Amino acid sequence: MRKIIHLDADCFFAAIEMRDDPSLVKLPIAVGGRSESRGVISTCNYVARRYGVRSAMPTSHAKRLCPDLLVLPHRMDSYREASMQMRSIFYEYTELIEPLSLDEAFLDVSDSEFHHGSATLIAQEIRARIQKEIGITVSAGIAPNKFLAKIASDWNKPNGQFVITPAKVPEFVAQLPVNKIYGVGKAMAAKLAESSIFTCSDLHKFSVFELTQRYGQMGTRLYHLSRGIDNRPVTVDRRRKSLSVENTFANDLSGLPQCLNEIPSLSQQLAIRLRRVDDDYKVVKLYVKIKFSDFSITTIERSASAVSLSELQSLCAEAYNRKNMPVRLLGVGVRFIDLREDNNFLQLELFSNQSSIQYAEAN
Amino acid sequence: MKFAVSREALIKPLQLVAGVVERRQTLPVLSNVLIQLQGDQLSLTGTDLEVEIVGRLTLEQPGQSGEITVPARKLVDICRSLPDSSNIEFTLEENRILVKSGRSRFTLSTLPASDFPNVEDTPGNLRFSCAQQEVKRLIERTAFAMAQQDVRYYLNGMLWEVRQDQLRVVATDGHRMAMCTRAVAVNSSDVIQAILPRKGVLELSRLLDDSTAQVEVVLSSNHIRVTSIDYTFTSKLVDGKFPEYERVLPRGGNKVIIGSRLELKQAFARTAILSNEKYRGVRLLLSDGTLTIVANNPEQEEAEEQVTVDYSGDSLEVGFNVSYLQDVANVISNENIKITLSDANSSALLEEPENSDSLYVVMPMRL
Repeated sequence: MRKIIHLDADCFFAAIEMRDDPSLVKLPIAVGGRSESRGVISTCNYVARRYGVRSAMPTSHAKRLCPDLLVLPHRMDSYREASMQMRSIFYEYTELIEPLSLDEAFLDVSDSEFHHGSATLIAQEIRARIQKEIGITVSAGIAPNKFLAKIASDWNKPNGQFVITPAKVPEFVAQLPVNKIYGVGKAMAAKLAESSIFTCSDLHKFSVFELTQRYGQMGTRLYHLSRGIDNRPVTVDRRRKSLSVENTFANDLSGLPQCLNEIPSLSQQLAIRLRRVDDDYKVVKLYVKIKFSDFSITTIERSASAVSLSELQSLCAEAYNRKNMPVRLLGVGVRFIDLREDNNFLQLELFSNQSSIQYAEAN
Repeated sequence: MKFAVSREALIKPLQLVAGVVERRQTLPVLSNVLIQLQGDQLSLTGTDLEVEIVGRLTLEQPGQSGEITVPARKLVDICRSLPDSSNIEFTLEENRILVKSGRSRFTLSTLPASDFPNVEDTPGNLRFSCAQQEVKRLIERTAFAMAQQDVRYYLNGMLWEVRQDQLRVVATDGHRMAMCTRAVAVNSSDVIQAILPRKGVLELSRLLDDSTAQVEVVLSSNHIRVTSIDYTFTSKLVDGKFPEYERVLPRGGNKVIIGSRLELKQAFARTAILSNEKYRGVRLLLSDGTLTIVANNPEQEEAEEQVTVDYSGDSLEVGFNVSYLQDVANVISNENIKITLSDANSSALLEEPENSDSLYVVMPMRL
């Protein structure tokens, strides 16, 4: 059974604006285009939502609903930065991350060793860390698949989380309105309503054949999703160039021996994270990064094919000697060649048509 | 049970029989080898419930008959490490077996022979005899192309197709295919297909040699049995439908290249060094009289080899997994290789230029 977490930041753009200007917190605010230029609302805070303001609504309409609405222009760089910070927190827990947008992602933590594999505790910790380190809140849904995880993250929004355990799936989906199924929009919902289908349990009365006959391809999806079955994998599109772990110390490390002392534990963490990346990544370099007490940063690297403690310590010594002053942050990492990315060839199949038939037979 | 046997006579059948025994077993008796003695006839049996091998040998002196099972791995290690000319004496004492040779003594645990499972015998549908060198050649020519742990489980094995006077084997991993056909005295009006599991194929090939000594092959609906004087090999068959291999045999390739096998093999081996170590793609550039092979790796290094070949016609650039080409160049024995291509997206046919009993089909890699 898989463990999927869907993480979704609460009114992301608006949250970043409120974080950067706390005086906005109690006001109805939105981020979007100006009404004069026929702009549209991207996100609004919960104060504005009380007036009926929604995302994708024309700004002019939103202003009519809420005349005091403060519409701020986009600051994409800030949003992107926060998004990257969120993602780097995710990557500490799993390599299997599928970002859906700047503020939303699926995480597959089925094989995660954190919290003895408890997805609930992992989600809790990620949310707490994002709140502390980035200053915004996120909601999480935890379920055996992507479909249910996404619905679950909406369940206790904002700043909440909701778990659907495998045993609870049948009960949970039974009462679910059909419009919660992705692909079921207004038109489809109306079509289903004609056959008195309003909830997923209404769909259970039909066989997969009946549903496919009536709704084509969508029929199969309705059949499976209404039973809480969704086998889509969390697909990782990002390919890495490097992997690193770093630590900012509460008190600056005063000298080289103190720095060298920290290298074994960093190196060990790096090795653990390295085990989770697939074997298409080939390590070609090791590096050490130091941020000194004067905030200057130095990085030094050397060719290598694996993590080696003695190499990292010698790199650390070399980097330290460049400035010879107290150290705020120490990082160790590897740079990769990606065998998959750098492969310009696609192997063609002998039995392209046949094999799909054979798969079907095997199932 | 009590008998003596020379190390020289015992070691080969013992190692071959123990070869099927898996290291990790859920059932303790499966890590044992069954020893049975009747007069001077000694037989050894190993099984993993899918493949069973029985090895037979005749002792110089009849012993005291009996049967017992003994830990396979340990027995092999003991016999192997004894001096070449040793004589080994086995004595069953209660539920232990005493193994003595010169001044060495070993006491091994045993399990009763009655616990040892045997592969159930189903009535054979088809039986034929042939020289064992035929079976050995069929396997050696094709086994490299079998899939390994593919989800399409029926590819993790070798198709045996028997028809009147002919035995054909086919192996494929979905990217390339190897096929070998030999004339064998079979009397069958039907075409019979059976898929041997990968492990069974590899074990069977080790039991056979290049001699003309006969083996008897018996096929039933779910088992195959091959019997020679010294061995009986029994394997379950893979229950599944093998792809229709005839559909993917290329037809109408208009670019026929004949080149020296050795030169091509060496050129492939050298370019392979600088191909992507996992995906192994190389580019073949074909022009009048020359085949150029180019490889690049992620580090931007490059290898280029030019091989003089017998070809005249349009030029063509096509990508291949160099390992697949190397496999074929290694297994073919003729001085030359004939390669037939049509375009960059169609499979290549590789074979010996004349009287080829084997065909190799390799799908290209798209550039």
